[in-house]
Amino acid sequence: MKFLKIAILVLIFPLLSASSAHKFYVSITKVEYVAEKESIQIITQIFIDDVEKVLQERYNSDISLGTKKETKEDAEVLKKYILQKLKIKVNGKPVSLNYIGKEYETDIVKSYIEVTGIKSFKSIEIENQVLMDLYEEQQNIIHLKTKESRRSLILERDNPKGVLNFD
Amino acid sequence: MKLVKYLSLVALLLVAGMTFAQEDSTSQERKPGHLNNNRFKQMYQEFSTPNMFRTASGAPGPNYYQQQADYKMDIELDDKNTKLYGNETITYTNNSPDELEYLWVQLDQNVRSKDTKSPLIEPSGATPADMAGSFVGKYMGAPFDGGFNIQEVKDAKGGDLPYTINQTMMRVEMPKHLKPGEKFVFSIKWWYNVNNHVTDRARSGYELFDDGNRGYVIAQFYPRMAVYNDVEGWQNSQFWGRDEFALPFGNFEVNITVPADHVLDGTGTLQNRKEVYSKEMMERYEKAQKSYEKPVIIVSQAEAEAASKGFATGKKTWRLKADMVRDFGFATSRRFIWDMMAVKIGNKDVMAISMYPPEGNPLWEDYSTIVVASTLKSYSRMTFDYPYPKAISVHSKNQGMEYPMICWNYGRPDADGTYSERTKYGMMSVIIHEVGHNFFPMIVNSDERQWTWMDEGLNTFVQYVAEQDFGEWYPDAISPNTSYPSRRGPAKNIIDYMAGDQDFMAPIMTKGLNTYNFGSNAYAKPATGLNILRETIMGRDLFDYSFRTYAERWMFKHPTPEDFFRTMEDASAVDLDWFWRAWFYTTDYTDIGVKEVKKFYVTSKMNKEVREMMAQRGMKESDLPPLVYMVEEGSEDFEESMRTASLNDVSTLQEYIMDNVPAEERAALKNPKYFYEITFEKPGGIPMPIIAEYTYSDGSSERITYPAEIWRKNDQSVGKIIASDKEITKIVVDPDEETADIDTTNNEWPKRKKLGEFNKFKENVKGE
Repeated sequence: MKFLKIAILVLIFPLLSASSAHKFYVSITKVEYVAEKESIQIITQIFIDDVEKVLQERYNSDISLGTKKETKEDAEVLKKYILQKLKIKVNGKPVSLNYIGKEYETDIVKSYIEVTGIKSFKSIEIENQVLMDLYEEQQNIIHLKTKESRRSLILERDNPKGVLNFD
Repeated sequence: MKLVKYLSLVALLLVAGMTFAQEDSTSQERKPGHLNNNRFKQMYQEFSTPNMFRTASGAPGPNYYQQQADYKMDIELDDKNTKLYGNETITYTNNSPDELEYLWVQLDQNVRSKDTKSPLIEPSGATPADMAGSFVGKYMGAPFDGGFNIQEVKDAKGGDLPYTINQTMMRVEMPKHLKPGEKFVFSIKWWYNVNNHVTDRARSGYELFDDGNRGYVIAQFYPRMAVYNDVEGWQNSQFWGRDEFALPFGNFEVNITVPADHVLDGTGTLQNRKEVYSKEMMERYEKAQKSYEKPVIIVSQAEAEAASKGFATGKKTWRLKADMVRDFGFATSRRFIWDMMAVKIGNKDVMAISMYPPEGNPLWEDYSTIVVASTLKSYSRMTFDYPYPKAISVHSKNQGMEYPMICWNYGRPDADGTYSERTKYGMMSVIIHEVGHNFFPMIVNSDERQWTWMDEGLNTFVQYVAEQDFGEWYPDAISPNTSYPSRRGPAKNIIDYMAGDQDFMAPIMTKGLNTYNFGSNAYAKPATGLNILRETIMGRDLFDYSFRTYAERWMFKHPTPEDFFRTMEDASAVDLDWFWRAWFYTTDYTDIGVKEVKKFYVTSKMNKEVREMMAQRGMKESDLPPLVYMVEEGSEDFEESMRTASLNDVSTLQEYIMDNVPAEERAALKNPKYFYEITFEKPGGIPMPIIAEYTYSDGSSERITYPAEIWRKNDQSVGKIIASDKEITKIVVDPDEETADIDTTNNEWPKRKKLGEFNKFKENVKGE
């Protein structure tokens, strides 16, 4: 309930959020198709404080990430959350994501995810709703790299998925 | 005749590379002409013509002027109803050579008015499903009733002045035009509903604590004069919510009435300290003025918590006075702890101050004020001595926002009083950043509405220097780290942004409102650019001197981007036009690599290339003077014996030396054995210096930096010869990742298959 209240209030003034230091609600996900390994390699980078907050709101107020208090369960909850919010279709078909692990770097957490057995790569649809359940102005930026090109998507709450075609 | 032939051949050999290139192009169709597209072209088109207001050196010109706006204000806070009332008298001095028909006043609170147009410029789309809460907020909720209620606008005699409000701007008509040198005095009476800044994430407002108390951080709270100057006329760009402010300097006398049990601090010097401080507070304050090592508590946590229990009905007025400030902000609550210490800046004492609710402890009591003091020292070192009497850091949930002498900062421990490293460094960094804003843009008063990077970029750059200073000066505070973990500054931290999709990128020289990735565009990228100039392109001495010159020239004045660019070159004699264009005016990126390495041996036997040239010109070997020839390893003329031969075996060379170099000087001649032609390539647009590290077979290495100007005639690839008595085993371009090279797969010779970030992590996980 508390979360909903916050969400409602947050929605009223989504535009006044700019302040002078960090508070930009942005995550960056790097996606690379490695043809010789038939693999899509994904590294998703999220601000720790933002994702910790969302996990506390959703699951358990004791969750702590990147601190001595972090438990195995906390790491599992993070994995569960990311896999719930990140959905990928390759050549029009949903694929399963293999979560390899995560590591911390200053104030971000990097999660490593792989999709294997991708023999041909004609199109990819990426939906990333990470943190959008808490922050109205959350932007999830996707940088996609293949041998031939670099492309990007900016995913927002009103438009949380995008398709890139490679013909 | 023979001489002519000989000269022409030598000329041909010397320009061989260029000649071949020209021959290639003659086989194609003739290309049309073109403009000067050289990346080293001077910036005459981008920069405005220097004039009497702003000189070509980047300094204020002989006719430079700036307007002045002095304020006298009576403010009253109604804590119970969360309303703020004000009556202000503005004395506006027209120092310009222009006659002004009207005045523009900024009503920034109107961004929160019911009919604000800010949401209307944000595109939105239908979502297949909404959370119920989202839906209510989007489609059913009533907007907050914020924004200024302007009650009256009067001249000095009390006559009504006509005015027109256009969103966040108000045009005031004067009885007659304001001539150069004249002053106009007028007053505005207003009130507004104060917003909850935690829920609407605004730059000012209140935070509601669990016990019913509020912590107010109040700013943009009064109608403020817009800037009028030689480059923009009246600042006429609306406040949509993101781009910050453009404000003239002036002197402020502000009386603020708040509940009697509140404490308050703000821009300026307190005029009635004895009236508003208790006796204990006065005694502690005297102590704090002499405490240079650590802060002295003025209001303790226990006292703040005790004060939080009563809600006084009486009132108290705090009188503040500030000279030469561009703005005014204040913070007030009965739930604030307060501490202060002195810091020596030049030969002056400045007070470093913190105000925070108990929610901020233990973090705030331990670090805030020493971070303020350290920041003032670092920034004074990099710019000019901090000229104001104090700097206050106020703890305000989720905020990082700056005003003259006062700023709001986030960083809150968990409810149980513990906090993570990240909360701690987040808090320290934001305090350094916001206190740093006193220098840019509060004193070096750039136009934030137009050029976010001029204050955010420059400030984020000095923030990096100040963070590193803090780590050095307070090693215990950052232990077990050995240096401060800065997020922005080092070149390699900007690579992900610079490598991104060009469709979602804007040059730094873009109004903040219109950029895609605000934090990277206006904060991180300009800060990183300055760091690259300081560490790699100019060196610290030249950079620091020039940067300080800019700050000193524009202290208490209004600079433009060109004033900065010009000063940096003028004071250092480093032509940086290419850098400004690439880094600030385009979305180009750095990518430099080693394309090819060829190995040559020296011989006195004529090689194929020269034989062919001779044949074309009908010449014989006897027509030529003795020459030294280079033969590429593996080419037609190459012989295995060349590998072991030395220069002594090259007869033409030996003869020349014996005939021309005196015996006693021969020993000093170098004896290179290996000759390499290295071709560097530049797929990226930015012409950075080539930092090449050569490693030799004996394990030694040397580093040669070829200045960026090496790219001036060929933007794609350049060659360099290295003559060495040792074999080169490895070449690395930009070994310390100083240039923000976005693709390092081409940075090494011989090419090494680098394990990508992803594979490296995967290997590690497997290994565990």
